[in-house]
Amino acid sequence: MKKWWLAVVVLLLLTSCSSQDAGGPFPSKNIELVAPASPGGGWDTTARAMQKVFDDEGIVKKPIQVINKPGGGGEVGWKYLESRDGHSLAINSSLLITNNLLGQSDLSYQNFTPIAILATEWEAVVVPKGSEINSVKELMTKLKKDPKSLKIGVAPGLGNDDHLSFVQAAKTFGVNVPKLDFLVYKSGGDVATVLLGNHIDAATMSVSEAKEQYKAGRVKILAVSSPKRLKGLEKVPTWKEEGVDMVFPHWRGVMGPPNMSEEEIAYWDQRIGQMVKTDAWKEILKNNEWEPFYKDSGESKKFLEEQYQMYKHLLNDSGLTQ
Amino acid sequence: MGVNVQSMLEGLMTALEPGNLLWLAFGGFLGTIVGMLPGLGPATAVAVLIPITFGMDPTTALIMMAAIYYGAMYGGSRSSILLNTPGDGSAIAATFDGYPMAKKGQAGQALAISAIASLIGGLIAVIGFVLLAKPLAEFALKFGPAEYFLLMLFTLSAIVSLSIGNMTKGFISMSIGLLLSTVGVDLQSGVYRFTFDLPQLSEGVDFLVVIIGIYAVGEVLYNYLTIDQPLDKKKRDVGKIWVTKEQWKRSRWPILRSGPLGFIIGVLPGAGGSIASLLSYTTERQLSKRSDQFGKGAIEGLAAPESANNSASVGALIPLLTMGIPGSGTTAVMLGAIIMLGVKPGPLLFEDNPVMVWSLVNSMFIGNILLVLINILLVGLLVKILDTPPKMLYPLILVLSFVGTFTMNYSVVDFYILLLFGVIGLFMKILKFPIAPLILALIVGADMEQNFRKSLILSDGNLGVFFASPISIVLILMTVLSVCYPLIVNGFKKRKRTVEQRSTNI
Amino acid sequence: MIFIRFFMPIFFVLVSICFLIGTFHLPKAKLGDPNGPLYFPAGVSIFLLITSFVYLIQEWRQQQKYPEFKRLLSGRTPFLIVSTLVLGLLYALVFLTLGFLVSTTLFLAALLFVINGRSKWLLNLTVAVLFSMSAWVVFSQWLDISLP
Repeated sequence: MKKWWLAVVVLLLLTSCSSQDAGGPFPSKNIELVAPASPGGGWDTTARAMQKVFDDEGIVKKPIQVINKPGGGGEVGWKYLESRDGHSLAINSSLLITNNLLGQSDLSYQNFTPIAILATEWEAVVVPKGSEINSVKELMTKLKKDPKSLKIGVAPGLGNDDHLSFVQAAKTFGVNVPKLDFLVYKSGGDVATVLLGNHIDAATMSVSEAKEQYKAGRVKILAVSSPKRLKGLEKVPTWKEEGVDMVFPHWRGVMGPPNMSEEEIAYWDQRIGQMVKTDAWKEILKNNEWEPFYKDSGESKKFLEEQYQMYKHLLNDSGLTQ
Repeated sequence: MGVNVQSMLEGLMTALEPGNLLWLAFGGFLGTIVGMLPGLGPATAVAVLIPITFGMDPTTALIMMAAIYYGAMYGGSRSSILLNTPGDGSAIAATFDGYPMAKKGQAGQALAISAIASLIGGLIAVIGFVLLAKPLAEFALKFGPAEYFLLMLFTLSAIVSLSIGNMTKGFISMSIGLLLSTVGVDLQSGVYRFTFDLPQLSEGVDFLVVIIGIYAVGEVLYNYLTIDQPLDKKKRDVGKIWVTKEQWKRSRWPILRSGPLGFIIGVLPGAGGSIASLLSYTTERQLSKRSDQFGKGAIEGLAAPESANNSASVGALIPLLTMGIPGSGTTAVMLGAIIMLGVKPGPLLFEDNPVMVWSLVNSMFIGNILLVLINILLVGLLVKILDTPPKMLYPLILVLSFVGTFTMNYSVVDFYILLLFGVIGLFMKILKFPIAPLILALIVGADMEQNFRKSLILSDGNLGVFFASPISIVLILMTVLSVCYPLIVNGFKKRKRTVEQRSTNI
Repeated sequence: MIFIRFFMPIFFVLVSICFLIGTFHLPKAKLGDPNGPLYFPAGVSIFLLITSFVYLIQEWRQQQKYPEFKRLLSGRTPFLIVSTLVLGLLYALVFLTLGFLVSTTLFLAALLFVINGRSKWLLNLTVAVLFSMSAWVVFSQWLDISLP
């Protein structure tokens, strides 16, 4: 039992290594990227992609750690961010706004410092291969006649982008939106499963979740929410072409804690601006079927305000808030 | 898909490349170690080890991730057997007879049979994969919400029926599990239920925390009852590390039967290893002539679920690789990881990239054999855990439980839940309440409710939807049978005037 | 013993009633069937209520014995259980503020002192320090899990 002194020595060494939290120019210590979800999801993927590019390309010199804080549709992670300083950033998406509007969280975009919007996906309306419906017009006409005639799959919750993009489109066709039958699933994969098994009549999901099934000819995509037709889906019309004036991004961004200094914001603008230009980042976007959607801190702020107004109206229309 | 011999052979060659073999062994070993830690099941194991695969060739990465995955499945049951602490839902069934075996001084044999059973189950599943991947995937699609609801109902009733002579307590235990599963946000409506405004509860009570609480913490508290009694000599004995001829004879058929069963259940998206292993256990118990020994260290009661859960883990890869649909939490994590590497799993993967798929299948073959070797070599080392004096071991188990719990949700709230369920576990053990129904109900409860409601939305409120397909009818019949079986057995016994109160504590 | 035998069934009856009441206080769903979220918990609560009554009656009619209960209250057992729980609570309270390494070492050392006895203090301390450190290295460094 003479090993104990060894342990003490190692312990001392370790503590001395980790306590190098000196002042100096920003960043002066390790960077934290908060993914407000468990490993595996979109938020976590975004955080780890950032970590990888920052690190591999030497854009950020300090060590970067991804921290998973799942719970409450992001609330747990964002609450944690609120208590940190400018060395911590968190991934966000429209849930930041909708959770608050739905009364599920006290936090909203005003409580944080917008840093950037990074990328976006687009939404698609999908029906099974054997479906007799061939266009959104047919789909909506049917729903207008009887909102309960078709069952629509959505994931992972009411009030998210999948759901609201459909709501917005349906509304312009004059469908009685609050009467629609949505089946809520845990993930896009689950929705794809029931769609392939013909258990539901239609689904609204992000393009990346539907694309592979579409290419294999197992589902039909009726419309996408992008401004222009998408690569690989040249035959699928946009909502605009179908007569709905709607562009609906399903975006992801990053934000920092409240009260960040000008210097800190400028640092991140510069580094993230550099990151989105790298080939490594573009490669990751391509692999995940995400589209570049970069906005810097100033643009992000404006964008979030616009989004807030839009979601407020949409949630009202959907019947979730009154 | 038709077996394409050429790409199969090419796949075999790729799988046998030294680099791939090395990563395979490494992944399997890491998976085993991580899987042994409480709370770190296959999904977490794959997720935390993903960074290693960055920059790898996609095939190698996929091989390695699959190796981590079933390595963790092997590892999960090690701690079930030695410490009565399942590492994951699918390892619960291994505690039923595995831990009693270890207590009887047969730890070595228990570990050996579980490795052998896992190997055979895995091999059966790989063969099934080669022959049946496409048709099975199509069959799995036929399972709509109604069928899922009935499958879960059947599994629950089968588990409750395990507690023969104790059905009331089984039902109570199940109800508590179901009620717990309603905590959190209701998926269908977005309503928060029983969360007491804690955002940490919005995704519900994590069943892994409950498992660790009841099994690990509860077991330690329960052992305090006897902590100062002189140690049973036999308990320290680990026995031989190889099975006897007689033991092999007893486990042979259960292993062979459970392999295909687990495989088919594994293919169903969302059903997974927990259901597979528990169902194979109940099946074997009902088939066995020695059913009274189940729960007291019957070797076939360990062999069957081990075979089933490993084959289920292979089965779960089928929806992922044939359709690009993750069938379980672990495969969802794997999906995310391979997308990062530029591979798009989907219905076209088999056509676009057959060599990759076949290398994976072949590597699973080789990997299972390697894992058995690793595990058998580890047996000698692992049983040393039992040599640790209990007074030393219990604090360590407690600390590991806390750390494992933290790694799941990174939340201290789970510590309180852990302690609460430790106490509940203690009382359940003293009062002889079966634990498995509670855990299983908690695992499947939320899905069960959601599927029930979805069925009714789809049918516009018509209950006939539950009798609408042949699969449903079969499932209903099996449910009725499983509930009636113990009643019949009980009636039979009462006539024979054997008023033996049986209360296996599972 | 009577108290113990009837405590559990009555406890379960109370649990089911609490859940039942809680169920009817749940907010209504804004879309779809407004009562959708409460059918299932209400159904299960009622089922639990019924089975708990059956359990109560069974306890009444047959004299079940739980020999282990006596041991629960004898010797060191109650002290060990209570101190484990208290230490666990303390650990939860300080875990985030003190950080993983310090709090775990303290927690483990305290547990070892309580269970293993004061006489083996050197062994206890060694194990506590070494084990916490290796746990920290494995989880935080190798597995890249973020620990406080």
